Amino acid sequence: MRHLLAATALAAILATPAAAAPQLTPAQRDATHAMFEHVIDTPTVIGRHQVPAMAQYVADQFKAAGFPEADVHVLPYHTTSSTTGEDDTAALIVRWRAPGATTKKPIMLMGHMDVVEAKAEDWAGTDPFKMVEKDGYYYGRGTIDMKDGIVAITQAMINLRKAGFKPKRDIVVLFTGDEETNGIGALNGATQWLDLLGHPEFGLNADGGGIGFNTDGSPAGATMQTAEKTFAGYTLTVRNRGGHSSKPRKDNAIYSLAHALDKIEAYRFTPMLNETTRAYFAGREKLEKGPLGDAMRRWLANPNDGEAADIIEASESEVGLTRTRCVPTRLFAGHADNALPQLATAMINCRIFPGIDPNATKAELERIVADPTVAVSRNDDRVASLASPLRPDVTAAYTHAVQALHPGMPVFPEMSTGASDARPFRVAGIPVYGVNGGWTVTPIDNRAHGKDERLPVKSLYDNVVHWQMMLQDLAGK
Amino acid sequence: MKRVIAAALAAAVSSTAFAATDPRTLPTKLAPAWQAKTRELFKQVIEIPTVHNRGEVPRMAKLLADRFRAAGIPDADIHIMPYEALPGDQTAALIVRWRAPHATKKPMLILGHMDVVEAKREDWKFDPFVFREQDGYFLGRGTSDMKNGDVATTMAAVKLMSEGFKPSRDIIFFYSGDEETRGVGATLGSTKWRNLTEAEFGLNADGGCATYDEKFRPIGCEISIAEKTFQTYLLTTRNPGGHSSRPRPDNAIYELADALKALQAHRFQPMLNPANRGYFEHRAKMEGDSPLGRAMRAWLANPNDGASADIVEASPIDVGLTRTRCVATMLSAGHADNALPQSASATVNCRIMPGVEPKEVQAELQHLVGPKVQVVPDPNYIGVPTPASPLRPEVLAAVTNAIHSVVDPAMDVYPVMAAGASDGSFFRAQGIPVYDVDGSWYISPLDERAHGLDERIPVRAMYDDVVYWEKLIRSLAG
Repeated sequence: MRHLLAATALAAILATPAAAAPQLTPAQRDATHAMFEHVIDTPTVIGRHQVPAMAQYVADQFKAAGFPEADVHVLPYHTTSSTTGEDDTAALIVRWRAPGATTKKPIMLMGHMDVVEAKAEDWAGTDPFKMVEKDGYYYGRGTIDMKDGIVAITQAMINLRKAGFKPKRDIVVLFTGDEETNGIGALNGATQWLDLLGHPEFGLNADGGGIGFNTDGSPAGATMQTAEKTFAGYTLTVRNRGGHSSKPRKDNAIYSLAHALDKIEAYRFTPMLNETTRAYFAGREKLEKGPLGDAMRRWLANPNDGEAADIIEASESEVGLTRTRCVPTRLFAGHADNALPQLATAMINCRIFPGIDPNATKAELERIVADPTVAVSRNDDRVASLASPLRPDVTAAYTHAVQALHPGMPVFPEMSTGASDARPFRVAGIPVYGVNGGWTVTPIDNRAHGKDERLPVKSLYDNVVHWQMMLQDLAGK
Repeated sequence: MKRVIAAALAAAVSSTAFAATDPRTLPTKLAPAWQAKTRELFKQVIEIPTVHNRGEVPRMAKLLADRFRAAGIPDADIHIMPYEALPGDQTAALIVRWRAPHATKKPMLILGHMDVVEAKREDWKFDPFVFREQDGYFLGRGTSDMKNGDVATTMAAVKLMSEGFKPSRDIIFFYSGDEETRGVGATLGSTKWRNLTEAEFGLNADGGCATYDEKFRPIGCEISIAEKTFQTYLLTTRNPGGHSSRPRPDNAIYELADALKALQAHRFQPMLNPANRGYFEHRAKMEGDSPLGRAMRAWLANPNDGASADIVEASPIDVGLTRTRCVATMLSAGHADNALPQSASATVNCRIMPGVEPKEVQAELQHLVGPKVQVVPDPNYIGVPTPASPLRPEVLAAVTNAIHSVVDPAMDVYPVMAAGASDGSFFRAQGIPVYDVDGSWYISPLDERAHGLDERIPVRAMYDDVVYWEKLIRSLAG
């Protein structure tokens, strides 16, 4: 997943090329479009077993562009958990070797090929797994999360290779196949595939960072992801004796669950600031002249000003950045329409502020629900996430690429509210930076995981150029 | 199958100390020769596993038809009607007309069903489809629901014919083959096959009316004359959804939770009709001068006394009998653990008072939950409201007389409203009043095993039921 700060676009933004920016050739654009359409049309949802086909397709693009077979690896693996289902999936690892001796460890480029489920009946008229170009946008599941990043990295490497670029250090690609569900691909990457990846010095993740415009066309800023909230799932479970539905009991598992959900809806976690979010809001407040900017300034001046933090949290562009958030995402209850429920469960998805133990959040949920008949349990054993230290070279390369395409666009570090494949690498001591170059209009294009997901057409091509520039900066010197 | 309320009632019977006789030990009034014939037929039908999709119902229909034929019913009046119930379930109904030589009244219908609920050998202590007699009981699937009623009504007719009895009205026996699943047989019987079933009223042999508590005190014989309408509604909320790391102020699950809380707090209008009035008159006597008994009397005296009705509805014994009830039974929401739900839905099961249209309940639910929640009836089952069958004095008198003379002179007989549905509902909906009046009895809750494990019936209850139906037929068609 990725945090999409923003994006934008008025028709003018969608249509106007940035002045003096590098451009793709018509042939490069056609190749990018064709690859994007192919991968969007491949429904890489868990349980559909389509990721291996996509991995093979992407591998074929690399091989066709001259990357040696021995350095292109499709790695099938199985992913499963009790709450997400299972899938025969795959990862793709591609190593672009620097000619001659090099002392530097590789740079890893990261992304994931799987997408969240999408149901055609929920969408406004387009099939989520049939890419449609309409009104300056590409529509389809995965257009922003994150097949655009897969295509941008792949096409950037192909274009550079064809143009004769010789990296001065190895570039290694890791595209996983279950980031949206179990993250086993990333876990494998940080352990058993680490040799294949050449023990990279750091990772650049296309599933993070990004550029935003406001709906009036003004820049909302570009973010480089250096920290992420801890993703943790919890289950609320209520059991009951049940019985025949013609004789309702006073206690009912569904009603008890409804009351617990009501309390979670009303609860407000304590606002918090850390180094990354402080830097982020310090950058953001300069762009926000109105009440939102005032709230940011108030909160930065006084971290105990909870009211200011609440105003920020209520903003569609900043939601999730000021505190831990928990939200119910799924419900299951009952076994027959004519029987009282014996079991009712709710999945609670929490995004926990970095540094807070998920077990502490479990205890907090128990206090919120305050009902001994409602059991709170964890769905996973994730530990608190860590932040990556800022690297001047990555910051400079990202800022350079962003501002080449979007002159004057401010850049600041970001804490992602979502979890990504970066987590196991950060835990293993390999810093990861979310530095994608796609852009969207906030909040109207914030549709990752939701309905009618879309990407500005121009953003796709800009992103290819963005990754070319990043690689030239970081691996060409 | 009948509603099960007797267990709760048994617990409520005041503990007056009197030593009652175990009704299972009393001698049956059925002559030994007829006991043997009854036992033989009962054994045969119990050992035909008439579970849905096994295709065995037609064999049982033929077996019963042969008995009627042997007793003198001409072939032209015996109809085995094959039909499909659940997809692929080839079953059959049996319709037999016993003609009156000089009918003075409109025909009378006797209803039963031949199918049984699934029973698994590994769950039972013995093979559910091998007939057994043990410790004063007949055991096997269908011994109480309701091959006992099929056998009692068939044997009563055979016995009456052998004694030269000539009915004063045509008596139509209608045994369906899918009461436990879809009720297609009863639907056809009350509509398409109406030329064969047209009758002034029906007597349903599905489930014994009489119960004793475990101290052998008679609880009562309940005649179901009405039933609530079954209708499930689906409550659905929708939302654009999005990434769960960015919670929206509106959320399909929270909106559904609000609707469920409103549903939990909602109170439908209490209603008295002839069925539950008769029941509560009996209950008020049982409860005596307790707060519950006083509330029953207050409500019976003043049907607008909602507070008293609420006290009655809160009683675990009487829940569901004062008003329409709707309860949430299932939930389903969301499509991924890490995505905001785009839809959330609750299954709400309603049992609607006779005479109330399901559309009215739908409108009441819609008003309750507000415009953010869509309320639609479950398209898989559209309930048809059935009117209460006004209790005919001659039926009440005949049942009371038969119960008192065959089963127990101390057994009260009174009308009730069933919270569940049976074949009777399809005929009621089509204008033929139906009364559930089988004369078998059981010890509650000890013998309440219909649909469950180790189903059984007291031996005497089986045999005396033949005598009971003889008396009922003589009273109502003599």
